[in-house]
Amino acid sequence: MKELEHDSRNNLEGLKGWLNPSRYGWERISYWFQRITGVFLLIYFIGHVYETSTIVNGQNAWESFLELTQTVWGHLFLIMVIGASTFHSANGIRLIFTHVGIGLGTPGRPDYPYNPSSLNYRQKSGIWIALILSAAAMYYGFTVLFGE
Amino acid sequence: MERHRMLKESQIMKIHYITGIAALFVVAVHILMRLIVPFDSSLEYDYIISNYKNIFYVFILESILVLISIHGFNGIRIILLELRQNNAWENMITIMTISATIALIAYGTRTIILANGL
Repeated sequence: MKELEHDSRNNLEGLKGWLNPSRYGWERISYWFQRITGVFLLIYFIGHVYETSTIVNGQNAWESFLELTQTVWGHLFLIMVIGASTFHSANGIRLIFTHVGIGLGTPGRPDYPYNPSSLNYRQKSGIWIALILSAAAMYYGFTVLFGE
Repeated sequence: MERHRMLKESQIMKIHYITGIAALFVVAVHILMRLIVPFDSSLEYDYIISNYKNIFYVFILESILVLISIHGFNGIRIILLELRQNNAWENMITIMTISATIALIAYGTRTIILANGL
């Protein structure tokens, strides 16, 4: 299929548009969180793959690396990972549903104040559910990591 | 100019969703393996080595590695393509993210193979 190609399409606002908090309400906050938690989790995952690779250097190497993570700050970092992964998963499932058309509502005539029907209570509930689940998961993680 | 792509963006998005959902299940098993024994014991050297010798668990670990690497680096690709669009940028980002995905999978697989032989 032939496509029209342009060398550059300067029709987007780039990072400035991405960071603009003044539009789209809760959906924009959820958009940020999904991306921020995604990047954070990828950085953690790369670190985790590196951390676990120390086991091939023997018990001493494993235990000395583990000491670095088995601290209060290490545990707090893990709780952040738990919260981020729970939010990213729950909100990701909401986005998959949205992408296939579930929870968007029926299209209606655009009337003043032109609130899009797709940004409805179902979407907002999904965001809140993701936030509540991540708070609950963080609490559970806290009891496991600090409860001993 | 006609542009050839191996996969359409809609197909890549399906891969993104499928890897994300599949990762949820295998990561759940990975976390359960840490919780069926006291958390501190689950991090002991001998317990971890025994995990790496369990073929079922090795399969889970390799699945996590592949699924999250693909999902994570494709997510980074999506974010970077949202910020800027032109052919050179898109090609560079695609090559960089595929290379990073392969490198991370290779490094993690090396750990799994070496730890399995300890």
